[in-house]
Order: sequence, then C-alpha cells, then structure tokens
Amino acid sequence: MKVLMANIEDVMREAAARWTLVAYFFLSTIFIIIFASAINLDIVDGALAGAKLFGKTVDVSGTMSIEKLVMGFESGFSGVLYVLCTFLAIFATAHLVPRMQEKGTIDLYLSRPVSRVKLILSRYVAGLILAGSNVLYLIGSIWLIVAWKTHVLHPRFFLAGGVILFLIATLLAFAFLIGVVTSSTAVSIMATYGVFFFGVMLAGHARIEAALSKEWQAMGIKFLYWVMPKTAELATAVVATVGGVHNEVFKITPAPFVSTAIFGLVCLVLASWLFQRKEF
Amino acid sequence: MSQTVIEVSGLKKQYRSSVGRSKITALDGIDFAVREGELFGLLGPNGAGKTTAVKILLDLTRPTAGQARISGLPAGNPESRRRVGYLPEGHKIPGYLTARQALGIFGKMSGLDDATIKIRSLELLEKLRIAQWIDVRVKKYSKGMTQRLGLAIALLHSPHVLLLDEPTDGVDPVGRREIRDILRAEAAANGTAVLLNSHLLSEIELTCDHVAVLRSGKVAAAGSIEDLTRRAAKYKLVPTAPVDDALVASFRDTGAGVERVNGHLLMTVDDVTHLNALVDKLRAGGGMLAELSPVRSSLEDVFVDLVRAVDPGAQPTVEGAAL
Repeated sequence: MKVLMANIEDVMREAAARWTLVAYFFLSTIFIIIFASAINLDIVDGALAGAKLFGKTVDVSGTMSIEKLVMGFESGFSGVLYVLCTFLAIFATAHLVPRMQEKGTIDLYLSRPVSRVKLILSRYVAGLILAGSNVLYLIGSIWLIVAWKTHVLHPRFFLAGGVILFLIATLLAFAFLIGVVTSSTAVSIMATYGVFFFGVMLAGHARIEAALSKEWQAMGIKFLYWVMPKTAELATAVVATVGGVHNEVFKITPAPFVSTAIFGLVCLVLASWLFQRKEF
Repeated sequence: MSQTVIEVSGLKKQYRSSVGRSKITALDGIDFAVREGELFGLLGPNGAGKTTAVKILLDLTRPTAGQARISGLPAGNPESRRRVGYLPEGHKIPGYLTARQALGIFGKMSGLDDATIKIRSLELLEKLRIAQWIDVRVKKYSKGMTQRLGLAIALLHSPHVLLLDEPTDGVDPVGRREIRDILRAEAAANGTAVLLNSHLLSEIELTCDHVAVLRSGKVAAAGSIEDLTRRAAKYKLVPTAPVDDALVASFRDTGAGVERVNGHLLMTVDDVTHLNALVDKLRAGGGMLAELSPVRSSLEDVFVDLVRAVDPGAQPTVEGAAL
C-alpha cells in the first residue's frame, strides 16, 4: 500500500509541477464552460417551452419531454466526452513509464525493496487515478450543469464515465507496453492514438474484408478486428447506455467489452513481464 | 566476528553487441566480499566493470554466471534491498520534487512510515547541511547539493549496506570530508557495510579499509590499502658515508632495485628478510645506517601500475568480433 501511495503522490506531484494537471483540467473546464453557455432552455411551469443548442433552436414540439431532451443531450455529449477524455488521459499519462526508465532515475526506483511488477502496476493505478479524476470532473460538471438548468437528475450519465475509464485503462496498458519497450513518450502517445483510430477503422471490417481479393488478407483483417480494442463499438455502447437506446447502430453487446478487456490485460501482463526482464 | 553482507562469487557478465553476434565481457568471474562495518572501495579504469558489479547487486542487470548476494539473499530477491541504500552516479532525483517530497516518496517505497521519514529527513539534511533547502525544488539545487540529497535518500532507511557510486562528485572539499565522516560514522556506529565506487583514489584511500581493483572485468588486486601500498613499497636507506658502486652492484645482484637519490638509496626489495640481508651487506662492508624508512606508494601509484601492467588500453574484452 505504501508503494502505491508513494507512486500516486509522485504521479500527482509530477502532473502538478509540469503543468500537465493544470492543462488537463483547464482544457476540461473550457469544454464545460462552452457546454454550459451553449445550452439555453426555456422552461415554463416545469415544462419545456423551447431549447437552443449553440444558438440553434432545437425542435421541442410535439411529444418531446424535458427528460427526453436531457437524455438526448447527455447521450450525445457522452460520445464527445468519450473521445475527449481518452485523448486527454493518454496525453497526460503516457510519459509515466518512459520518464521512470530514464538513466539516473530508474536506479532510484529499482533500488527500493519493491518488485518491478509491483512498481509498474502501482504506477499504472496512479495513472488511472489521474485520468479517472478528470473523467469524474468532466462528467460530474456536465451532469451538474444539466441538472441545474433542467432540474432533471439523470444518473445514467455517470455510466458513460465507467465505459470511458474502461477504454482509458485498456489504452493506458498499451501505452505502458510501448513505454517499456521504447522508453519514448512520443512513440507511446502516437502508437496509442494509432490503436484508437485503427480500432475505429476496423469497425468496418466486414466491408474491408469484402473489398479484399485474397482470403488470407480478409482473414488477417478479421483477426485484427478481434484482437484490437473495439473503440468504435465502445463509443456506440456509451451513447446507448446513457440514452437508454437499443437499435442497429447504438447497442450494448458484451463481445466488444470482453475482447477489449483481453487486449488490455494482455498488454499489461506483457508490459509487466518485459519490465521485469529488462536490464538497465 | 563480523558477518559478510555482500558476497560476489564467480560473477560474469557479457553484453550482447547491438550489431552482430559479438559479446562484450564486462565482468569475467570476479569475487569479493564486504563485511559489516567495512568500508570497501571498488576501483578500476573506465569500462573495468565497477558499475556493472553494483548494478548486479541491485538487480538492475542480471549476471551471465556467478552469484551476488546481499545479507545472504540473492540479488534478484527484492527483500535483499530492504536495508540497502544506493547512490547512483549521475542520479536524477525528479526536479519537480522538493527534498522533503523526494525523501517522503522514496522513504515510503522503502517501507518507512511518515513519522520516521519526518524525523530521519530532518536529521540527515541537518547533517548534510542542506536542511534550509528542504522545501525548495531539487531543480534549483547545485550539483553538490543534489549529491548530498542523494546521499540522504540512500541513508534514509538506516541501511545495513550502502552502495555509493562517486558519492563526492561535485561536492566541495569541506563537503567531501563531511561525507567521509558520515560514512565512517555509519560504518562504526551501525555496522553499515559501505561499497564505494570511485575514480577519486585519494578519496578511497582516505575512506576505505579494503579495496578491489578491477581491470578488464577481473579483480587485478584486492586487499587492505595498507597491504596494497606496502606491496610496492620502497625503502629509503641513508648511510652515514657514501656507498661505493661495488656495494650497490652487489645489492642489485640479489635482485633488489637500487636508485641513488640525493646521497641516499631508494631500494625495492622482495620482503623484510631481503632488506635485512642488504643491511647486513652494508654493515659487513664497514658502512653504517643513519636512517632506514619505508617509502609507501600512494594508492594511485598502485592503481596506475596495475592498470598499465597488462592492459595499457584498459578496454573491456570482446569475444567474437572486434569493437
């Protein structure tokens, strides 16, 4: 526990001292302010009389209730937050392993009576706590703004935070793996963003497979699809979870979660194993 | 009888060259042991394998063959580092931390509680004369101050074993003496075994009891500083009257090295018996002694002689390909 606490303190102090923490939360705050000023709701006697989003009038005629509008807002924004939170989190935490592995620094960490696996996992948890605090800040702030403006409390919005943190945990494991191998923050960030986009691209694997002339190529794409994290499917799952919708586009199925979790777990185990074997 | 706390036996380390299949031998089967309370110096030219040996003791790198143990535990066991303090050469304490924070973080990682960290931090920083900088970020420190803080981190958990790589690097002469005094006090009071790795031979000579000189990955010489410097000792013989050339030649015939220097003789002999035989010869020839005193070599003389003796380049050995 002391090792974990020491790593959390180290990670937080570094984030604070290097302005990462400030930049991280400053960008999130800007997003929150833009969001707060973009929503204008006209509520008369508890009923929605009119709504504007980014200055544009939203059609609230007919049967649309204020609850439904809130759900629509929040499910839409959860998709935006999914990308924003993930990108900010990787940017703020990808340096954790490369910096620790720097000559002259790693000796100080490894000369403690701590196993390497414990050291890297503590750092991983510390990174997740940093990212998780930002996710909570963004989701919580937006939820509060919506609740304040509409008086509608929609707790399902917080489920988005869970899915987002799940993806961050997976991608951070990959960033750690690349960090252990290359000791480069830049490569860790680029590779992890690459995996994110590659995952989105592979969501259309069926069409790619159909367009390929050779069967082994199609098999390769299918294999990659099942190996890589399902970033696109998880995004639709976030929207579906928050909005409570279930259709052809927005649906929640366990397969993307399971295969993404396996990817993350394999990356984390590999990162720990390689760090354990690495010579400095 | 004091216990052996650092044991290195048959330690071998080969690094793979990044190109080709060649192997670079950094350590070629070295043995040494350090007892509790002992100040032990590890010497050698660049590339002799000193840092590799220390890194193996800390499990930063693994041996190709042989064993390294600390307090009876294999170096690969994290528990062996429970009471080990380490000051690496060119260490980089994160610059964003203050001394208090750095000591707090590394203290916790060594298993100390907050109260102990607080007490020991102040005590050590006072001793190392940087207590007034406790809440200043490390990036503002001079090299000497960073070195003192590094030593404080190494000493924080009252280690039984101290592994120090160039501990006085960048420290002023007064600071060096203070660090020397601290190390001696730790060894005497707590039985701390100190393994000192340094190029500053005068520092080693002033600090350590025993040394091992590494050359091309092998132990070229080992023993107490007194023994090592005596081995190459010369004797200054001042006769009451000038010694004639025939007598000097008869001295040389016994295998002694004889030099005339300002009216006296500098003689290199095998041992005390050999010396006494020469004195007997002098007396038998009617000569008399005004003074006879040993001329000790400095550790630096011994070191340079050892390094130059066999391997003028003092480069690591390479198998399989030329460097």
